[in-house]
Amino acid sequence: MKNIILSMATSILFLAACNNETKKTEATSGADSTSITAVDTTLKSQKESPIQNILSAYLQLKNALAKDNDKDAASSGKALETAFADFDKSALPGDKAKLYDDIAADAKEHAEHIGANVGNIKHQREHFETLSQDVYDLVNAFGAGQKLYVDHCPMYNENKGANWISESKEISNPYLGQSMPTCGTVREELN
Amino acid sequence: MKRIKAVALAFLIIILAIQFLQPARNKNGQAVSKDFSKVFTVPGNVQGILKKSCFDCHSNQTEYPWYTYIQPVGWWMDSHIRKGKEELNFSEFGSYSKRRQMSKLKSIGESIENETMPLPSYTLIHKKARLSNEEKDLILNWVKNTRNSLSLKP
Ligand code: HEC
Ligand SMILES: [Cu+2]
Repeated sequence: MKNIILSMATSILFLAACNNETKKTEATSGADSTSITAVDTTLKSQKESPIQNILSAYLQLKNALAKDNDKDAASSGKALETAFADFDKSALPGDKAKLYDDIAADAKEHAEHIGANVGNIKHQREHFETLSQDVYDLVNAFGAGQKLYVDHCPMYNENKGANWISESKEISNPYLGQSMPTCGTVREELN
Repeated sequence: MKRIKAVALAFLIIILAIQFLQPARNKNGQAVSKDFSKVFTVPGNVQGILKKSCFDCHSNQTEYPWYTYIQPVGWWMDSHIRKGKEELNFSEFGSYSKRRQMSKLKSIGESIENETMPLPSYTLIHKKARLSNEEKDLILNWVKNTRNSLSLKP
């Protein structure tokens, strides 16, 4: 019992010490703006979002659905599932890591089902709809690193409507595909 | 002729032997606090429909028809239960995040609208699980209302 308390106390001390240290290094690297590494990282974070791989697989999937291509949609779905699994969240603060886990747990399932449903593009699109909400939340939390558009299609699913995210301003509808490729409007711009 | 008899006998022995390999039954009374009826308001008729049509594969409370005690039917059932519970478990709905609850409710509605659930291969023999149009409407309505009220929760 004594041992347990002792080890708990030391680990708390240790954690507290670690926290202090990271704060200190942050402060110094922030002040030291002439250092090359500091400049480099800020430049990089402006250009590249941590969710870059997830975004590019999602956009690939979106473009496959817009072309009514269930096979490409499935392979992009699988790529997206991998991108979610490979995401490195070790550098994230606790609350962000938790948010990532919450979103990824749901999104991975949708990506997996899209990957498994060659021949059933209707079902792929059903999962794509929920997935788009997950990706939207992800972009809001982690940044896009590029300009993105939130588009809305009012006609999908018996006029219930649905959203998606696109890299281009021109509408290319992933829900109605080639039957109504330009149906939809830009609702919001993300950066 | 002798050959055929021998093969038939061997076959019979195999069929008899596999009857002893019963998969574990999917039934336990635990963790009721995570049950979907504890996290949502579920009217009795909705609960009843889901119970007869979905719970056999999507809960911890399978009601086994007699023929599932015969192998290989029982194994086939067991594999459905395992895959089905992984996908959606009404007995553990309360342990899902709000995001996943929303997402599962949406899928439930779609699976009923598209008639992919309950599994057609199952309703073929298990006629009791089939949904009438009124029953479908009841479930779809409940799904819609539950999604709306859940989306308003913080
Ligand atoms: C005989 C077993 C069985 C019954 C009964 C059954 N399911 Fe399923 N369900 C499965 C299996 C197996 C899967 C996963 C594999 C698949 O989709 O075929 C599944 C998958 C699902 C999914 C995920 C669908 C997707 O691909 O997104 C939903 C939602 C679902 N079931 C809802 C229901 C509902 C609602 C009922 C009752 C009206 C029901 N199921 C009845 C076996 C069953
Ligand atoms: Cu699916």
